[in-house]
Amino acid sequence: MDQENTSFSVKLYIYDISKGMARQLSSAMLGKQLDGIWHTAVVIHGEEFFYGGEGISSCPPGGTILGHPDSVVDLGETEVTDDLFMNYLTSLGESTYSAESYKLFEHNCNTFSNEVAQFLTGRKIPSYITDLPSEVLSTPFGQLLRPLLDSVAITPPGSNSINGRYGQR
Amino acid sequence: MAENSGTDPAVNTNTEENASTSGTIIMVTVKTPKDKEEIAISEDSSVAQFKEEISKRFKAKQDQLVLIFAGKILKDGDTLNQHGIKDGLTVHLVIKTAQNSQASVSTTPGTPPVNRSGSGTGTGTANPSPASPGGTAQGTGPTPAPAQPANLLSGFGDLSNLAGMGMGSSNFMELQQQMQRQLMSNPEMLSQIMENPLVQNMMSNPDLMRQMIVANPQMQSLMERNPEISHMLNNPELMRQTMELARNPAMMQEMMRNQDRALSNLESIPGGYNALRRMYTDIQEPMFSAAREQFGNNPFSALGGNGENSGVQPSRTENREPLPNPWGPPTPGSTENRPPGTTTSSSTSGTTPSVSNPLGIDASSLGNGMFNSPGMQSLMQQISENPQLMQNMLSAPYMRSMMQSLAQNPDVASQVLMNNPLFAGNPQLQEQLRHQLPVFLQQMQNPEALGVMTNPRAMQALMQIQQGLQTLQTECPGLMPSLVPGGLPGGLPGGLPGGIPAGMPGGIPGGIPGVIPGGIPGVPGPAASSVPPENPPPPSGQGSTPTSSAGASPSQQQLMQQMLQMFAGGSAGGIAGSPQTPEVRFQGQLDQLTAMGFINREANLQALIATGGDINAAIERLLGSQPS
Repeated sequence: MDQENTSFSVKLYIYDISKGMARQLSSAMLGKQLDGIWHTAVVIHGEEFFYGGEGISSCPPGGTILGHPDSVVDLGETEVTDDLFMNYLTSLGESTYSAESYKLFEHNCNTFSNEVAQFLTGRKIPSYITDLPSEVLSTPFGQLLRPLLDSVAITPPGSNSINGRYGQR
Repeated sequence: MAENSGTDPAVNTNTEENASTSGTIIMVTVKTPKDKEEIAISEDSSVAQFKEEISKRFKAKQDQLVLIFAGKILKDGDTLNQHGIKDGLTVHLVIKTAQNSQASVSTTPGTPPVNRSGSGTGTGTANPSPASPGGTAQGTGPTPAPAQPANLLSGFGDLSNLAGMGMGSSNFMELQQQMQRQLMSNPEMLSQIMENPLVQNMMSNPDLMRQMIVANPQMQSLMERNPEISHMLNNPELMRQTMELARNPAMMQEMMRNQDRALSNLESIPGGYNALRRMYTDIQEPMFSAAREQFGNNPFSALGGNGENSGVQPSRTENREPLPNPWGPPTPGSTENRPPGTTTSSSTSGTTPSVSNPLGIDASSLGNGMFNSPGMQSLMQQISENPQLMQNMLSAPYMRSMMQSLAQNPDVASQVLMNNPLFAGNPQLQEQLRHQLPVFLQQMQNPEALGVMTNPRAMQALMQIQQGLQTLQTECPGLMPSLVPGGLPGGLPGGLPGGIPAGMPGGIPGGIPGVIPGGIPGVPGPAASSVPPENPPPPSGQGSTPTSSAGASPSQQQLMQQMLQMFAGGSAGGIAGSPQTPEVRFQGQLDQLTAMGFINREANLQALIATGGDINAAIERLLGSQPS
């Protein structure tokens, strides 16, 4: 086996999709302070991967409409190669992370990022991100808006799907 | 150990072997993308042994297994210990399949990101046509010809990638997406493409265009949601026209202008505005959002259902100010465009804290001084400038459903209310809130109340009433408290003030952004309900409406007073925009009176105040009061 033992760095790109509005308005509206509405993506092998209403998608790092990330967390290194990773993502996309299984509160981009991060590096993503849905849902306001929000899928444009099923609807 | 690994029946012996060679058996969770299993393995065993166990459990060949732990790929020669795999930890597994090569999009990570780097998928109406030709295999040829941007073509120039195009739809789509992305960033390219005769040929074939448009998944979902769109697509005449348009930007502009003019005409028809807005909301907005999704979407803009409205927009201040005055000369296009925009932002902002607006009780909250905040006042201003704001907010479909659900479930409403930080400090408020909530909610359901709110002229009248109240407040502060007790259930000397307190808890629609602004509709609201009953009849009947539950208790008086103060404060800042001094307000009239020969400024002022600025009446007063 010619193994090069190359390692690739893995980063977590964190975007605030409210662009600062959550920080300003959340305490007034929800009754608790949220510093942002976080969308995350994992960057590895020079590409950014995230999960949205279209399923797992990829794009050049910072290539979605959200632009540059608000913060970047270094998740470490991995030996997982490109091919292996794509294989893994395809399997994920066919099983638990298909386009239809997207749920804004329970099974969203951050869930995906968390899982991929653990696969690649064994580390989880910062908890303030994964705690966000429960934070929101614990406010009465969040509960009220829940039916509305459940129909929302966050899909930053500017990417292409990995398990594209176009034309197979 | 190696000898044992091959034999199947030796499973038991295997584990025994392992057990005997080392100490503890640990339970390691092995996780695949689809599955998760717990495997018992000896602590000291090697990765190869581990893989053996796994291959049995997952029914895969050992060669296909790739184990990953803490970012490292576990090689057969390593031991579990080496990697620190202990009891209860999770190891990731990928089972390599033959499909692997197909699934991965580009050959090596190093390839220039032609295939992989994507862009938004199908755009809205106009654009899919130019972009899709680029995507088709035929299109690849001509498209590079007219447009010369090197980065795009470098991918096309690479034939090996072309060969890869045939594989799996994912490749194809990516190309198309990338084309679109390039198009978006470089408008000239679009015109170049359009000029290409092949493209034009394709465009003149409506069937082909339709196929291409329909093939786009975005369009498909859009069409599912809006059958009208598919009808539109099926109409060849319309398609041809659209394509002509897309081809010819000048013609497009002309069309747009015509459309805007027609729309503005529609607007002036009574009920026309509503129809327009409905049309926009039902048809255009989903399309726009679908288009917008590609180019710039605040994901939260999907809040409010159906991806209509931008959410969580700051509901106060500067953002709204440039809105045109709808009562001014209607400017084609702009009025049409803005109100939907207002619908967008204001509806959403209306959604959110509408709950926390137990408007009837807002009166008391107003008194807390929140009302005089600059945010509130600017809001007042905005509302006064654009009564359509109210209309838009109220008519939003989810507003209605939210109000309905609130009405049905007062507990939720009160709970939300209570939790609202603005009310947090005032338990008395909360109590009052709770009492009046059901009544108030009922009122909100009253379509008449809503109708008044949505009628711009009524709003204007409300503003005028506010001004009058303000005058009263400043000129005769003593008058107001005396009005208050009578105001509630019983009759009143002045029909108006009686009507107001009565109407206050009722007829106040919810949709105001934020609790603070919430008071504002409270302001016009009460006056609104008093407008229909108008002046004449003493309010004994009117006054007895919803607030009959509240007695003319001192707390209510306080409430009223606070509310009236709010009126005064609010209108001072917002509506009239005029300072409170009567003298300044009546400056013009004063001058006139002086010119006429009434030199006693004091008396003039008094008279003017008493008559509310009416010069003739003031003159009569002056004449009547003059001794000689």
